[in-house]
Amino acid sequence: MKKFILVFIVGFLTLNSCDNFLTEAPKDEISTNQLLDSPETVTGLVNGLYREGRAADFYDSGFGGANVMFGGFMSGFFDNEAKGERIQGQVAQDLTLDPEILNQFFDGWWSGHYEAISHANLALQAIPDMEGFSENEKNRLLAEARFFRALNYFNLVTSFGDVPLITEPVEGLDGLEVSRTSSAEVYNQIVADLDWAVNNGGLADAPFPDNNFRITRGAAAALLADVHLSRAGYPLQSQGSYADAADAARTVINSGQYGLVEHGSDPMTMSAYNKMRTSDVDDEFIYGIEYDGNIASNDFPGQIIPGDVRPAGITFGRTFNVYRPIEEYTWIYDPNDDLRVQEKQLFYSSLERDGTVYEFNEWAPYMWYEEDVAFESGNSGDRDLRVYRYSEVLLIAAEAIARSEGVTNEAISYLADVRERAYWQTDRSTIIANLSGLSEQEFVEEVWKERLRELPLNFKIWTDIQRTRQYPVPSENNPGEVNFVDVVGASNNWGQTYQEHHLLYPIPDDEIQTNPALEQNPGYN
Amino acid sequence: MEHYKYAGIVSLMILLFSVTLVAGAQESGDVYVSSTDINSKTIETVEKGTSLQKVLSTIENTYDVKFFYKSELLEGKTFAENRVILFQNGLFNLLDDLLSDFGFRYKVLTHRTLGILPKDSAPNQEINLETVNGTVTDASSGDPMPGVNVLVKGTTSGTSTDAQGNFELSVPSLQDTLIFSFIGYETGQMPINGRTNLDVTMQPQAIEGEELVVTGYGIQKKSDVTGSIGMVSSEDLGEQQSAFNALQGLRGKVAGVNIFTNSGAPTGSNRVVIRGTGSINAGTEPLYVVDGVAMEDGIQYMNPNNIESIEVLKDASATAIYGSRGANGVILVTTKRGDTPSEDVAVSYNGSFSVGRLASKMDAMNAEEFMEVQRRGFENATLFEDYPPGQEPVFDLSDDIGTLFDEQGNPLYDTDWQEEVTRTALSHDHQLGIQSGGEKSSFGGFLNYTNNEGVILNNYMKRASARIVYDASPTDWLTLGTNLRVNRTWENSVEEGGGGQVVRRTMVEFAPILPVKMPDGDWSHFNDVKFTSLEGQPNPVQRAMEEDRLRDRVQLFGNAYAAFQITDNLEFRTQFGVDNTNFESRDYQPTDLESPESSVGSAGMNNSETTYWQNENYLTYLQDTGKHRINAVLGASWQERSYRSNGFGVRIFPNDFYRTNNVDAATEVSGFPNSDTWDWSMNSYFARGSYTFDNTYSATLTSRIDGSSRFGENNKYGFFPSIGVGWTVSNEEFMSDMDAINRLKLRASWGRTGNTEIGTYQSLSTISSGSVLLGGARQNTSAPQRLANPDLEWEKTTQYNIGLEIDLFNQVVSLEADYYDKLTDDLLLQRPIPSTSGFDVVMDNIGSVSNRGVDFMMTTRNIQTNDFFWSTTLNFNYNKNTVESLGAEDEDIFPGPNWVSGSQTILRVGEPIGNFYGFERLGTWGTDEAAEAAAAGRIPGEAKRSSDRKIIGNGLPEWTGSFSNKVNVGNFDFTADIQFVYGNEIMQQFLHTAEDRQALTNGIATQLYEAWTPDNQDTPIQRIRHQPLSGQNTQADSHWIVDGSYIRGNLFSLGYSFDQGKISEYGLQRLRVTASLQNAFVIHHPDFKGHDPEGSSWQGNPNTQNIFFYQYPKPRTFTLGVNIQF
Repeated sequence: MKKFILVFIVGFLTLNSCDNFLTEAPKDEISTNQLLDSPETVTGLVNGLYREGRAADFYDSGFGGANVMFGGFMSGFFDNEAKGERIQGQVAQDLTLDPEILNQFFDGWWSGHYEAISHANLALQAIPDMEGFSENEKNRLLAEARFFRALNYFNLVTSFGDVPLITEPVEGLDGLEVSRTSSAEVYNQIVADLDWAVNNGGLADAPFPDNNFRITRGAAAALLADVHLSRAGYPLQSQGSYADAADAARTVINSGQYGLVEHGSDPMTMSAYNKMRTSDVDDEFIYGIEYDGNIASNDFPGQIIPGDVRPAGITFGRTFNVYRPIEEYTWIYDPNDDLRVQEKQLFYSSLERDGTVYEFNEWAPYMWYEEDVAFESGNSGDRDLRVYRYSEVLLIAAEAIARSEGVTNEAISYLADVRERAYWQTDRSTIIANLSGLSEQEFVEEVWKERLRELPLNFKIWTDIQRTRQYPVPSENNPGEVNFVDVVGASNNWGQTYQEHHLLYPIPDDEIQTNPALEQNPGYN
Repeated sequence: MEHYKYAGIVSLMILLFSVTLVAGAQESGDVYVSSTDINSKTIETVEKGTSLQKVLSTIENTYDVKFFYKSELLEGKTFAENRVILFQNGLFNLLDDLLSDFGFRYKVLTHRTLGILPKDSAPNQEINLETVNGTVTDASSGDPMPGVNVLVKGTTSGTSTDAQGNFELSVPSLQDTLIFSFIGYETGQMPINGRTNLDVTMQPQAIEGEELVVTGYGIQKKSDVTGSIGMVSSEDLGEQQSAFNALQGLRGKVAGVNIFTNSGAPTGSNRVVIRGTGSINAGTEPLYVVDGVAMEDGIQYMNPNNIESIEVLKDASATAIYGSRGANGVILVTTKRGDTPSEDVAVSYNGSFSVGRLASKMDAMNAEEFMEVQRRGFENATLFEDYPPGQEPVFDLSDDIGTLFDEQGNPLYDTDWQEEVTRTALSHDHQLGIQSGGEKSSFGGFLNYTNNEGVILNNYMKRASARIVYDASPTDWLTLGTNLRVNRTWENSVEEGGGGQVVRRTMVEFAPILPVKMPDGDWSHFNDVKFTSLEGQPNPVQRAMEEDRLRDRVQLFGNAYAAFQITDNLEFRTQFGVDNTNFESRDYQPTDLESPESSVGSAGMNNSETTYWQNENYLTYLQDTGKHRINAVLGASWQERSYRSNGFGVRIFPNDFYRTNNVDAATEVSGFPNSDTWDWSMNSYFARGSYTFDNTYSATLTSRIDGSSRFGENNKYGFFPSIGVGWTVSNEEFMSDMDAINRLKLRASWGRTGNTEIGTYQSLSTISSGSVLLGGARQNTSAPQRLANPDLEWEKTTQYNIGLEIDLFNQVVSLEADYYDKLTDDLLLQRPIPSTSGFDVVMDNIGSVSNRGVDFMMTTRNIQTNDFFWSTTLNFNYNKNTVESLGAEDEDIFPGPNWVSGSQTILRVGEPIGNFYGFERLGTWGTDEAAEAAAAGRIPGEAKRSSDRKIIGNGLPEWTGSFSNKVNVGNFDFTADIQFVYGNEIMQQFLHTAEDRQALTNGIATQLYEAWTPDNQDTPIQRIRHQPLSGQNTQADSHWIVDGSYIRGNLFSLGYSFDQGKISEYGLQRLRVTASLQNAFVIHHPDFKGHDPEGSSWQGNPNTQNIFFYQYPKPRTFTLGVNIQF
């Protein structure tokens, strides 16, 4: 009998179970329903936007270069020395874009943007009802979320054309197959978001660094000006957008918070460009990607030294010139008058170290060069990357005013501001005189040239080609002069001819396969 | 939930407590001398009339000695009076006292053996033991058998038969029992029963039929089994004495079990695939169950010498008892216990010493060849780029003259880095086993120390393990036991994954013009070369010698069980198992590893602990009436696994003294410290009933209900049934005339099993947190991780199996063949969803994969004579894998590795898993195609590729198998094991940097000798191009692909077993020495340029078999071993 009692006891104890034995309760992640109770989580969601999607395009680097460089490769004016390691650089130069071959590259781009948009959508839904925020805080966070939603949609619409427009968080597995929304509607949403951020966000009016690297009213207005300028061009050529661009640019200009960095005592070594290269704090900085060697380091310093040059003591195991302006690009500049094309301003072609000169025999971006990183700390670049500078806003204003109001003195003066700083030995009056009396088209082309010269490392060349449908043709014999020809039918510097479909990228094959509601861009089937 | 956790422990404690009481109460009855515990015994009373022989046998047990005497000497000797025996006086006093009463005396013969003789016999008189002689013959052939071991039960004395099968043996008494044993025959026991002449016949070991098979939760007769189960005995595993890893010993032993040894490192990861890859995201490894306890990680660190047998459950009838974890097959490991055949103490020592050397070298260029590529690269630079006149790159060695070149520009050094970074690996292994079996209890203690060196410098794995097993049957209705193992391993590992600057790569790519150390004694660095700029690679020898990649593990693994015999047929068993693993990794990179400029010293440490427990309780019902045989199991199981880890990294050390011993010597924190935790639990109920009628018709029904925390709220529980039937046709009347067929059995089964091996929390939508740089400091960030899927459930595999087992011609030929058809559906798939949702994938049950194939195993006993035995075993598996459907739109999935041209594998409906994806290399552009090439932006000599990527190969073989021969001649035994793989390809990713890309590093010689030149245009290998000057042109393409079939001389081993008769003089029961050669040769496709045609640099991704970017080369290993039993 004893043994039966024993078996019974053991059996009873071991077979006894309890209901929640199989319930999952994560301890290292928070379940989504708890999100709506926590202001910190929502703030975290908005904080993340600063380094996701379009923002990540600027620093997601390596052999292939940052995503944002792809336009430079498309233009044929920039080359990546390491292009043999990753496929996109070669494909862009060869104009052999293909939704399948570049599937992984564009899919990362596309889904990264939509991931940021979904986080913005979640934040925008959660913030209004959130306890624990003041109204001001709510508005500021809403404005930041809208800024990033707009930034991401803006890059999607310029890259791919019509794209699905999603403004609510996706919560379940239903209704995932969304078709493309017209570019016009996408632009409407972008403009609505940015208008709200500028007018209702209560954002600070200050240069980006002075606002602790958080979005300012000026940043939102600068982006809005860029958006309007883009909408005014191809393919939409939207009525009134030049005037809107001018208004938005004037919002930045008239805030009085911004100014161009001035040259120091020695215009060569202490030029405005070198000051911006060596410092992160100035009034020209409107929006950018922040770096800190200890927390998030800038990889660019290791990617702007040609691989066949090995200065003694360099800390990088391997270097390469990831965004090399080809020789033709330097013809865009007047070699005598333009400071920007002088050695060690925007670019450099040699490096001195401990008395030895290392010749590159080619140009490389100098704006990203950090000597202490290259020779001391290694792999931990500190300098921020400027996405919008005040000089660009001035150039947007000049073009937009010329288009909407004519070649006014105001328009001329904005262009002259930028050119005057570059033409360091030329009087402003001469510059103004040369710009006065130009036709609207002539003046606008002067702005385009100035954009090419001023913003080569702000990655504007391809979006300018897209919106103007004009391809710049510099001249070896007449440096400083640029002809603009129709991009369709033009040949790039690698002998490949642009066709109309090249003006939009293919939608990644993965996305087409997963979402039957999507149609591929023409020319890519 | 908490209270349950402890219920198991509490019940176990109650159980053990109660058992102690019961056992205590049982201590009485008819036992004459009750205890053998010498410490507790002081005085014993012997009743009048007791025989002297009986008392002596008590003394034998008490003092663990053996008496030898003539049986007639003690005949009729009984105690005339009650007598008190004083044990505490010691054995010799006791004997003096006792024996003199009967007129006897004792004589010490050997250690623990005493003779008993008349008191008045001469002091050095021989002891006349009884002599028994006889002949041993083979039961089937009637031939006499030489070399059969004959042993007196309970002693160490024995002999072996002579060439005529005759033996003669002295025994203490004609009441003893003799044990006869011979390889390939069943060990027999024969009581002498007073005879002096014994003729014995021995049965060849039953090949099938009466063999017992370990199935989940029980043991069954092989003849009753309806499922497909592969068995490997400890002898088969032990053949490969230098197999420090149990899985390596299993290679090629069971048809349908593919073990990919993807590295030559001591702890080199093995990937085990049973009957094809059935899953994409949910894990493809089988379930390992060691003595009934699931072992998730650690099988590769287990001491293979502890293993008694391994059973591999393959079809659903066999695996369904493991339900949701059975879909990838189940490997049941049974370890050795304490019981010995002679019910005595057996002490064994196994030792081995092995020497390993690189089995193959890649054809890396020497210094002269390297410089030729450099020179021609400079020459060709102007072809790839326009240089202004006078600015063409100049091949100028002047900066290196004196350091690396002589005045004429000839290299001063010619370093073979493959030689420099490898060594003759010396490994040794020691195993000590103590097994003590008795009627009521048995004990086993096993100790092991292994030092296994890798062929790469400073790479090793050391293991110390101790294991204790105790089983007891205190009463006829209770059995209990415990089994506890402590396994400690130390390892300095070599990185085997990815595409970084690791030793397995730099041993081929580091410049041969650099010496290991410069004349000043410093390690050479890549930037000691001045005339060109080489890739920033660390010196491979420095990396191997000075970098730490220490991996320490302590695993506590064990179980305790109690089995209650409720009735004669019904048993209740409860079992509690634990697996606790502590893991620590300590990495240190020295301050000048890459170059004195760019390295700062960095350290990283990670700790993790995994704790697993399970409690299983089940009833077993056994009934055997001869006509009807029933074997039924019903039970329940709970299990839980929890994990936590933490880690951090620091950098910038002042020097290389502190390493990971004093990380606060560093001045910077790299990254952010991290920690992580998860747990999961399962609750299951299982049942199996098998019935056999008349030894001819069998049926097995199995089912399991599994509940898992990993699944969605709506689908916590799953049901996994199976049915199997067996028909032993040879037992039918109508087969009785067919003499050629000894046994014919047909089997068929159907069933469904599952797979749960996904991460935790996959059904929940969660927010993860971290930090980002914002405003000059870290600010918190959060992001949703996934879309919730409350319907998430098991991946299900439905498998049909038809099997045939046949023995022909008196078991000269035995054959077992199975055809299977597996369909895995509701795949746990990271289903791609439109990423406009903000997510790329959702874990969903969608898609299906099929595996169809044949397992075949045939053993022939080619020659069986008295002194010559030769058998041959051929086994193979043919498997066809097909992706039947994928996500909602059957879209292609690109599972990586994303390297060079994007994902190098693809999952596409209608194609198998493991497909390579890339361009096709059509050749190179010729000079007559210059215009065409220019239009494509190329020049003659560059690779010409297809415009689209396509499927260009597959890494998983269609055919795998082994062919092995065993020969016994006299005391020698010989094994030759050849393995083969057919029908797969290899993606040689290393061609990217070793051949396609030139001059940035060293590479293989084809880049020089077979490169395109105007005179050699018909070649796929591109024109020499100096990467630092002219860039490169490489993509993952078909030129990287080569046939992956191979034949490997896996093992050749020779053993010699000494005659028992001779060694018993030295107190030995068994003495065997072996010599073996592993990985003697590999025959592969001549175009394969790597080390070994089996590998993967992307372990963990099931799609990447045979995709590698360099490998840890496999050694050829020569081993000497000894096996001694006392």
